[in-house]
Amino acid sequence: MYGHQGKILHVDLSKNKIWTQDLPEEWRKLYVGSRGINARILWDYCKDPEITWDDPRNILVYAPGAVTGTTAPASGRTSVTTIGCTTGLYLKTNTGGHWGAELKFAGYDHLIVHGAADKPSYILIENDQVEIRDAKDLWGKDIIQTDTLLKKWHGEDSKGLYIGPAGEKLVRGASIQCSLYHAAGRGGGAAVMGKKNLKAICVKGSKPVRVKDPKKFAEIAKEMRDLLKADSGAASLHQFGTAGSIAAVNELHAFPGKNWQTGYTENVYPISGQCLVEKGYLKRRVACFGCTIGCHRYSTIDSGPNAGIASGGPEYETFGALGNGPGVIDTEGVLLANELCNRLGMDTITAGGVAQWAIESYERGVLTKDDTDGLELGWGKIPELLKTIEAIALRKGKLGNLLADGLKIATKKVGQDSYKWAIMNAKGLEQSNVETRSAKAYALAFAVNPRGNDHLMTETFAEFGASPEAVAVIEKVTGDKKWAAPHFTEHRAEIVRWHEDCYEITEALGFCVFTSTAAYGVNPDNMARLYDAATGISMTEDEMMFTGRRVVTLEKAFNITRGATREHDNLPWRLMNEGAASGPLKGAMNSQEELDGMLDLYYAQHEWDLKTSWPYRKTYEKLGLKDVADYLDKMGRVP
Amino acid sequence: MAKVLLVDMDKCTGCKQCSLACSLTKEDLFDPKRGRIKILKKEDIALGIPLLCEQCDTFPCINSCPEGALTRNETTGIITVNEETCTECGICVEACTYHGIRLHPETGKALICDLCGGDPYCVQHCVPGALEWVDKTDDTVKRKKKLRSARMAMYHKLKKEAA
Repeated sequence: MYGHQGKILHVDLSKNKIWTQDLPEEWRKLYVGSRGINARILWDYCKDPEITWDDPRNILVYAPGAVTGTTAPASGRTSVTTIGCTTGLYLKTNTGGHWGAELKFAGYDHLIVHGAADKPSYILIENDQVEIRDAKDLWGKDIIQTDTLLKKWHGEDSKGLYIGPAGEKLVRGASIQCSLYHAAGRGGGAAVMGKKNLKAICVKGSKPVRVKDPKKFAEIAKEMRDLLKADSGAASLHQFGTAGSIAAVNELHAFPGKNWQTGYTENVYPISGQCLVEKGYLKRRVACFGCTIGCHRYSTIDSGPNAGIASGGPEYETFGALGNGPGVIDTEGVLLANELCNRLGMDTITAGGVAQWAIESYERGVLTKDDTDGLELGWGKIPELLKTIEAIALRKGKLGNLLADGLKIATKKVGQDSYKWAIMNAKGLEQSNVETRSAKAYALAFAVNPRGNDHLMTETFAEFGASPEAVAVIEKVTGDKKWAAPHFTEHRAEIVRWHEDCYEITEALGFCVFTSTAAYGVNPDNMARLYDAATGISMTEDEMMFTGRRVVTLEKAFNITRGATREHDNLPWRLMNEGAASGPLKGAMNSQEELDGMLDLYYAQHEWDLKTSWPYRKTYEKLGLKDVADYLDKMGRVP
Repeated sequence: MAKVLLVDMDKCTGCKQCSLACSLTKEDLFDPKRGRIKILKKEDIALGIPLLCEQCDTFPCINSCPEGALTRNETTGIITVNEETCTECGICVEACTYHGIRLHPETGKALICDLCGGDPYCVQHCVPGALEWVDKTDDTVKRKKKLRSARMAMYHKLKKEAA
């Protein structure tokens, strides 16, 4: 087969069974690949709402993209799809690294893990040889130790995906780590692995990827590469990483600090990508498989009391969640916290989110020294932050056990209005570090995101108009470049809608979303042409985008089976009820009224019911999802 | 003007575009294991070391081959593999001072970079600039050797640590 390898690998941990299935041709046309086909698979196996995240019937689907393994720039990413434990809803989490490409070279487009093992296990894949192995010597080991052992047993060129102690202990903010420092971090996929007793998946592959028209494919890949090479956003990502934007975000008073109580921090330099470079912490600029940007970092501390600390990152989000958020304006403080999370297998965004909530709760007297096992929590206190992270990851003590279940459960346990400073929405995921009060398309995108409020199901960075390419996207979508400013509420629905589709097809093909929604070298037009050259499946730009909408609707439908309604599409209480602290948009909020206005337009664009937010039957049918409508109709959930 | 390939490990991000490009131009498919250029990765320190034929002055591979399957162009230093006579024994792989040779995963024949006959296809894929195709001068030859020494020193250090 061209583009895809044409095989789905199934591993059933309960029955100790392994089999393969041909990739259905129809799915390549309707869902393209990776995230898209994963959504279909999750629907088919897990639509019954009685299946909860911790049920052995929940599945984990891992998939590189339709063009992963090729020279298409930055096309080596992998989607992991499951019922997430943080929200109990649909979870797609996407990772970079080199593991997904290796899975493709082993001959598989998708790996589906069913059931649960009765003892710690790992999966070993070497092309057609697939085994479920005993993981007793890996259980309890941290990420670095696990990777070292797998490489010792299966070769330095094997690629690993694994969980750390946090995932084993079913911590809701646990992260699936991928070829060491990359992460499918959000939503608690690692706890799903932990519940299945699945410690790791080690892969070695040597089957080439073929494309239908290599010459044409190479030309389009070159076009993308050249556009990215000329893109100012991509250049900055390589030079300073994702954290290179922190100074600019801070100048906009949009860099969340102290649990979203501030947006501007004096002297933010120590927690920036520029500081990593200029102060010598940055050792290497690192790329995921096939990526010509190379935004990933490898940083080390070489001298002083923290000498020897080394890890991947930190990213923008980590400098936010574990730096500005808890008030740690200290390079080495963040490097220490980042390394600890990477080692124990914790999502840095959630680790920081719950830590900030705990600090504010302690400050307010809602948590006492008794609740924190004697820790005197406070802003900018590095040792206390590190102890908190360790307590969460290992479920240690009262504090660890409270925070390990995430804000959704912790706020219910603690009560006392503590949801008011828990930065999550009704779905229950800790928010990523974006100031949605002053960026309205982000606000809408976060509210409707099926996995909770973050930037990783769609990203509307273009609304800032930070580059000519970004302005061009806004002009294309809204008809006028004047709308390239984040404070407008007008046209945000169209901007979010367009980006949803674009983001989805980007991930379905295996591209990094930075190539199409942060830099702009990859776009719906050249993606459609590339998919044609790769597979021989011809689609126009609009048809390609339509596959994106189909998947977005299917993801929405999955949540409807779990009872999600319009009420779940909201934003954290603080952001809806308290104004931004300073800056040009001082006092700005994501009020219910403002959000409702954007939601109405957004649902109307989708042809979804305004009252429930549920798609109509005709909407499903137009997208070729009649079976989905039939299922939901039986549940009484088609308006 | 004659040219040389500069290979700078410090600029390498480990993405493997070069190996993929090589397999594409040589075989019309994508497989990093079929690249005449290889990236030796060490994930814990995020390192990628590009390894390939250096068109060196001592060419131990030529003499090592029991079948005489390797020939060398005196002017360019490019080694050619005679696929008819190559027996897939792998002795040249061991002989290469710069660890630049490996065997094809399917045919078993020696894979040796031929600089695409004078316009290496991998170079245009290397956006970070770890691969540069530059005019041959005393200065660039000196730089090439310096960059190569750094890569080999790192290679030997890693192998020693692993042993």
